Amino acid sequence: MTAAWTLFRSLVLGYIWQNRLRSFVTLLAIGLGIGLFVAIDLANATAIASFSSNVNIVTSRVNLQVLGEGRGFDERTLLKVMRAPDVVQASPVIEDSIVVGARQGDPNSGEILRVLGMDLLQPLPEGIDMRGNSDPYGIMDGRGAIVSQRVVDNLGLRIGKNFTALAGGRPVTFTVAAIVPRSVSAADSSVVFVDISTAQELFRKIGTIDRIDCIVVPQRLQQAKAALEKIVPPGTRVIEPATRTDEVRRLLRSFQVNLAAISLIALLVGAFLIYNTVAISVVQRRAEIGTLRAVGATRGQIFTAFLAEGALFGVLGSFLGLLFGYFLARLAVGAVTHTVNTLYVSTHVDRVLYDPRLMLEALLFGIVVAMLSAIAPAVEAATTQPSRVIGSRGFETQMNRLAILLSLCGLLLLGLAYIAAQAPAIDGLPLFGYASALGIILGASLLVPLGVIATASLLQKLGYRFSSAALLAAANFGGTPRRNSLAIAALAIAVAMIVSVAVSVYSLRATVAAWLNQTLIADLFVRPMGVSGEVYDARIPAAIPARIRALPGVAAVDTFRGVEIPFHGSLITLARTDFSTIAQRDWVHVSGGADAATLARTLPGTTRVIVSAPFAEKANLHPGDSIVLDTPAGPTSFAIAAIYDDYSNDSGTVLVDQRTFNRLYHDDSAGMFSVYAKPGTDLNVLRTRVIRAALPLRVEVQTTHDLRAVVFAIFDRTFLITQALNIIAITIAVMGVVSTLFALVLERRREIGVLRYLGLTIRSVRDMVLYEAALIGILGGLFGIGAGMLLGLLLIYVIDRQAFGWPMHLHVPYWPLAESLLLVLAAAILAGLYPARVAARIATADAVRTE
Amino acid sequence: MKLVIAAVATLAIATAPYQFHFPSDHGSHPSYQTEWWYFTGHLKATDGRRFGYEITFFRARVRPQDVARARQILGGSRWRGDQVYAAHFALTDQGGGRFFHAERIARSALGLGGAAVGKLAVNADTWSLTGVPLADRSRERMTLHADDGDTRLDLTQTPLKPPAIHGHDGLFRKGACASCASHYYSYSRLHTQGVLAYAGKTLSVSGTSWMDHEFGSNQLLSEETGWDWMSLQLDDGRELMIYLFRRPDNTIEPQSSGSIIERDGSVRPISFNQFTVTATSHWRSAATHASYPASWRVRVPSASLDLNVTPVLANQELVLRQTPSYWEGAVDVRDAATNRLRGQGYVELTGYVERVIL
Repeated sequence: MTAAWTLFRSLVLGYIWQNRLRSFVTLLAIGLGIGLFVAIDLANATAIASFSSNVNIVTSRVNLQVLGEGRGFDERTLLKVMRAPDVVQASPVIEDSIVVGARQGDPNSGEILRVLGMDLLQPLPEGIDMRGNSDPYGIMDGRGAIVSQRVVDNLGLRIGKNFTALAGGRPVTFTVAAIVPRSVSAADSSVVFVDISTAQELFRKIGTIDRIDCIVVPQRLQQAKAALEKIVPPGTRVIEPATRTDEVRRLLRSFQVNLAAISLIALLVGAFLIYNTVAISVVQRRAEIGTLRAVGATRGQIFTAFLAEGALFGVLGSFLGLLFGYFLARLAVGAVTHTVNTLYVSTHVDRVLYDPRLMLEALLFGIVVAMLSAIAPAVEAATTQPSRVIGSRGFETQMNRLAILLSLCGLLLLGLAYIAAQAPAIDGLPLFGYASALGIILGASLLVPLGVIATASLLQKLGYRFSSAALLAAANFGGTPRRNSLAIAALAIAVAMIVSVAVSVYSLRATVAAWLNQTLIADLFVRPMGVSGEVYDARIPAAIPARIRALPGVAAVDTFRGVEIPFHGSLITLARTDFSTIAQRDWVHVSGGADAATLARTLPGTTRVIVSAPFAEKANLHPGDSIVLDTPAGPTSFAIAAIYDDYSNDSGTVLVDQRTFNRLYHDDSAGMFSVYAKPGTDLNVLRTRVIRAALPLRVEVQTTHDLRAVVFAIFDRTFLITQALNIIAITIAVMGVVSTLFALVLERRREIGVLRYLGLTIRSVRDMVLYEAALIGILGGLFGIGAGMLLGLLLIYVIDRQAFGWPMHLHVPYWPLAESLLLVLAAAILAGLYPARVAARIATADAVRTE
Repeated sequence: MKLVIAAVATLAIATAPYQFHFPSDHGSHPSYQTEWWYFTGHLKATDGRRFGYEITFFRARVRPQDVARARQILGGSRWRGDQVYAAHFALTDQGGGRFFHAERIARSALGLGGAAVGKLAVNADTWSLTGVPLADRSRERMTLHADDGDTRLDLTQTPLKPPAIHGHDGLFRKGACASCASHYYSYSRLHTQGVLAYAGKTLSVSGTSWMDHEFGSNQLLSEETGWDWMSLQLDDGRELMIYLFRRPDNTIEPQSSGSIIERDGSVRPISFNQFTVTATSHWRSAATHASYPASWRVRVPSASLDLNVTPVLANQELVLRQTPSYWEGAVDVRDAATNRLRGQGYVELTGYVERVIL
């Protein structure tokens, strides 16, 4: 024990201290990698938790819910549920949203607050006290609202004060009747409680409720559930609250797994760095190891010492990572929830939920990864023969044969990656796709050493034509292929990540742009004001689009309405459209099955539907198949007539004819509608007319041009987080370059001293290091582009298609790619600056004294 | 019930003499602000165990002009109404020394709560009170139901005396102002029979109960903090009701009064200067920290009564989440001189926890 400690102290701690700057950079990079991993993990968990807490805020004791599927159900169901056996309490709930702070013309203004309409005469959620209110039954007069402390603070309110909000696009004034303290609204402070009477009236849901929260005798949960299932009307289901959370989790899964995969790549870059660091230290201390072995240190002891070095970096890096993760998570949560809100479900997150279990997992994960990364160099150190270690270059020269061997392994991995790419998704997740991505990354990395050696020999042949510094750089570059290979591989992975994400996002964007051109053919798009995103469930009475249809200058109006319903454990949208006009308007691009003209002839009034491509892809559906959906009219079978392109969301949409929808749902209201102008109509004039005709409903009217801008703004915001991940990965890789060059410079102190003694100028020494940095940058860039293009193809044709069901074609963003390559090269050279300065400062006399 | 007084012209106010008509006056009077049907009593199970119970139904009218305005603006949700129905259920297990209580609150939507006009039919959630007039039209056979979890009480009540109308000419004064009054009558002696499900057992029970029915709009003055009320059923066949309104300085409003109901059912009002009630001990609630009087010396010289009134259990406090908590408990009545048991009764103490606003 004491011997091992002594060994560890002298061999590892001493070395780390001597190379403290480099060690620090390494630690920082590892920390960043772990931090990113932690942050994404926390952000994903917070998004899910905030949704499940939406349910729990009302009362954590609710253990069964009667849920209307996409539509409210008869309020009288409540009586039956209350009187059912084992039901201790049954509370009616209306769920909807209002918007505060919305401004005309700014679709992103305003905050959506979730409204829970409940019987406020019943005991309120724990912690909300109505007794401070002088007018407890003010809640029954249609104005009272119970608002969270955060919203009260944001809007500058207090009990008894009024605030105005938009409910379904109509302005409504509420009075703050009570405040939900922060302790109660911790995870979701966007909830507003109003009385059920107010909610029914505001949201035009008179006579219906959306949900019944039940508390049943816990021991008899299953019996109670079975009993309730017999009495609830068609189109409703009885679930445990966790079921809904599971559905949301499933809905978000592809998106979240994808983020997690990207964060893992950052961790992989970090692992490379640990490997690199330990490997360099092994090489640098070969003489020392030889001496130690010669005086009796066992292989086990040497192995343990280097493994401990890896573990030390792992522990310190992981702790640093937790610290980074803590702060990064705040940014990540914002980005993640924004996307979730825009594309999936409405939720609100105030703060990151720092799950200690997740953080502990990340810590252990970081340490394990660090130790695994250190195993290979530690084994090398341990198996080194004392006699062979003398002469530090000896080891590197074995690299030629090794490089060929590694390259063969690399090619084998790439082959395996190709095979894995052909495999289908597992349970909706492109697991083989991710394996293939790992294969490409590792395979390409293994090709790097051969690339380094080949480049070096090529450069040495050409080198005499350039300066002496270039020649020396080339010689050095080839002389330490192993260390350079590691730095290049780490850089290449980061570049590959950037390239692949850029290629796939660019391809998706180009595909979406083409799709928008095809589908956004109406002239004006009208929806209730202050509402953006897919998830807002607005109801515009049918009279308003009818009124607008009659305006001068209007050729036609198409209404749209969707309901969210469960399907195979996830959620999809069942939407209404007018199939009779589909051929004239051609906004649906049918990609499989019957053509638009046939659809227009055969679908109206039937239960034949068309489904979005992502849905067809993920549920493995084809024209001619049937799906059964629970509707208020009971389980209904829908035959799939065709598949259409849809990039608006990946959760899946089923388009049903409006007559059929109205019959099933007894609902002819619209969520939004589009207006086709007669040729020659001034759209600005028409826009004003539409706004006026919709009153008292306040509407936001966007032209095709506006809407396209909004769509791309959403698109770019959605991928903002991937861009951020890229930047962090490249930062980590550049730190790796700094670390490597620094090590090389220090190792070559004597050599540089001799060169200086022989007359090499300071400038040449500096140039030599910078040339080497540039070489690392260029090779890293080239390998990165190669691997990145492969990864990009994988993302486009396998991973994104399997995960999100988005069919798309390759579009290479040549100029942005070139730009980022130049950036990487610049970063590599920049990374060489400090080591170059250190090299240039090496004093001739000092360095040579030992010779 | 904590409701804000709405000085609204549409509210009926008890200011004038009132002629009760039975059975229709057993029903609801929705134009008044507040109304309650109050049952308290002493039950004996076939196995000898003794229980006190309280089942009360409240009706409160919510600012009708606001409701009407909201309905006009927003439309007609069935959940919007101007009446709120609440109910309290308490059980005193004398032998076991335990006190149980529950509350319900409901509105008329879906029939969750309601009170019929012209006949006795009141409910809040599943709890209910219904009446069927007997041959003597002023008497009513009544059934009561309340349940919470495994505790359930079903009772049938048969009046042994006609309704005892308190106050003068159907008007019961509660304060100095002319409108500070209510219309108030009691069935001061009811024969009670029924079934009690309690602590895993279903017991046959029988005993004697008291029923109050009171309605009004302006019953408690802003300068009053609460009331002490007692109903004592004496073994000699008489009953005594005393209603004391407390003021913030702990003095009693001089308009406070009571009634003696004679063996033959005739009612003799007694004014404040005709009786004395002195608290002889106090009890402090651990749940609400309120200090309640816990035994009394009651003297009515004109009826030759000098009594000691003692709770059968100290803690009979209803600790409520929605409405202010109060103490309502079964009491023993003994002769002050001989300490001989002379009857039983119920005492209600309100406004000790929080000021009661009606």
